[in-house]
Amino acid sequence: MTNAYKQLADILVTRFEVEPEELRPDVTFEELELDSLFLVELGLVLEQDLGVKITEEDATPRSTVRSVADLIEARLPASA
Amino acid sequence: MTDLEVAVTGIGLVTPAGIGIEPTWQGVCAGVPTAATDPELAGLPVDISCRVPSFDPRALLGRRATMSYDRFTQLALVASGEAIADAGLDPSTWDGARVAVVVGNGVGGAATWETQYRRMLDGGPRTVSPLLIPMLIPNMVAGNVAIRFGATGPNLVTATACASGATAIGTARDLLRRNVCDIVLTGGVEAGVAPLMVTGFAQMGALSNRTDSPARASRPFDVDRDGFVMSEGSAMLVLERPGDARARGARIRAHLAGYGASADAHHMTAPDPSGNGVERAIRHALAEAGLGPDDITHVNAHGTSTPLNDRAEANVIARCLGGAPAVTSVKGVLGHSLGAAGAIEAALTVLTIEHGLIPPTANLERQDPEIAIDVVTAKARPQRVDAALSNSFGFGGHNTVLAFTAA
Repeated sequence: MTNAYKQLADILVTRFEVEPEELRPDVTFEELELDSLFLVELGLVLEQDLGVKITEEDATPRSTVRSVADLIEARLPASA
Repeated sequence: MTDLEVAVTGIGLVTPAGIGIEPTWQGVCAGVPTAATDPELAGLPVDISCRVPSFDPRALLGRRATMSYDRFTQLALVASGEAIADAGLDPSTWDGARVAVVVGNGVGGAATWETQYRRMLDGGPRTVSPLLIPMLIPNMVAGNVAIRFGATGPNLVTATACASGATAIGTARDLLRRNVCDIVLTGGVEAGVAPLMVTGFAQMGALSNRTDSPARASRPFDVDRDGFVMSEGSAMLVLERPGDARARGARIRAHLAGYGASADAHHMTAPDPSGNGVERAIRHALAEAGLGPDDITHVNAHGTSTPLNDRAEANVIARCLGGAPAVTSVKGVLGHSLGAAGAIEAALTVLTIEHGLIPPTANLERQDPEIAIDVVTAKARPQRVDAALSNSFGFGGHNTVLAFTAA
């Protein structure tokens, strides 16, 4: 489990009312009932909290949590 | 019975007296004011309000209710759920295309607007939530009731300021009578207790300044009244044509027998002291209901506790209704919930008719000597009520009067 995955999981649970037991690397945002409006909001939170820019094209309802976590990992500022 | 009459078969209430019909009815009849110092208004000149206690959106509405809906939508969804259950209806089996939704609202998602505007000022436009618009636009409450309960008939929100809830109910009655639906979910909602909104009302001099003793601040018809107390809440009613209600064996709580509406065309915010607009609305409601002025034995007044409203309203009641009706204003207990008030008071008028019990006007200690009507005070008055009016008036000069009769 990457650090980014843990950070994303934490944000999804604390800010987006996702239940911890629903979270798996291969679950999609659609399955978590997070539609495109919520994903734009998620992008804002990631930018604010982690300093990482995730666009609407990066995180779609069909994206898995792992795929977005991998993007975050790759884009995390060196200091983080 | 007139051919305009419709049956009230369900009620849902979410008010500062509690979540549900029973706590609200008990609280209003007990006459205990709900106004209190509001931590969210700390530091403002008027820092008191009436708030719905212990409202947990996630527990009541499920996941993401807090993220997806402003509080005004949340309150109406909970009230709608209770009203549907109270009517004995099951949304999983009803023909949704024949179910309409008409909700009155004054100010939309006020708190969301204020919070997001602050985010933009503090953090720039990129920090504004994409959920801002779907959360704040006033019509979204009707849209979300439709989504949650599968109601795909006509769907709209009415805005006549503090008469909005009553206007919605009258409009809903018309939809039923046009036969474009068989069931209407209708009422009003408001969640306008937010710093900018409260300050706006305070700046126009509409609010009570009795911030050192909030429980005594809302005092309709009292000689020392000095304005209203901002409140929140929702009431939703289920209306059906009486024949349909009887055919499915529904309990009819009361009938909505008449609806009168007019405009003062006098001043943006002050009531017309002549009361002519209110009088026309009352006479129209009576005519639709086939009632005479002496038949009305109870009036659930608009009674805001502002100096101007209460005197003007009392004068019209005294002039138009010859039967010396027992008048009450529940705003002494609940404060003024703007667009929800007309619907909450309509629901309470129905309960008054059903129970034969008129709730008291809280804080009425010394009646304004210029107000010559019979106001129920101190404690609830047991009295049979066969026909009653519920008055609602809004800034802009909107006057709405609903006439209810016993089932």
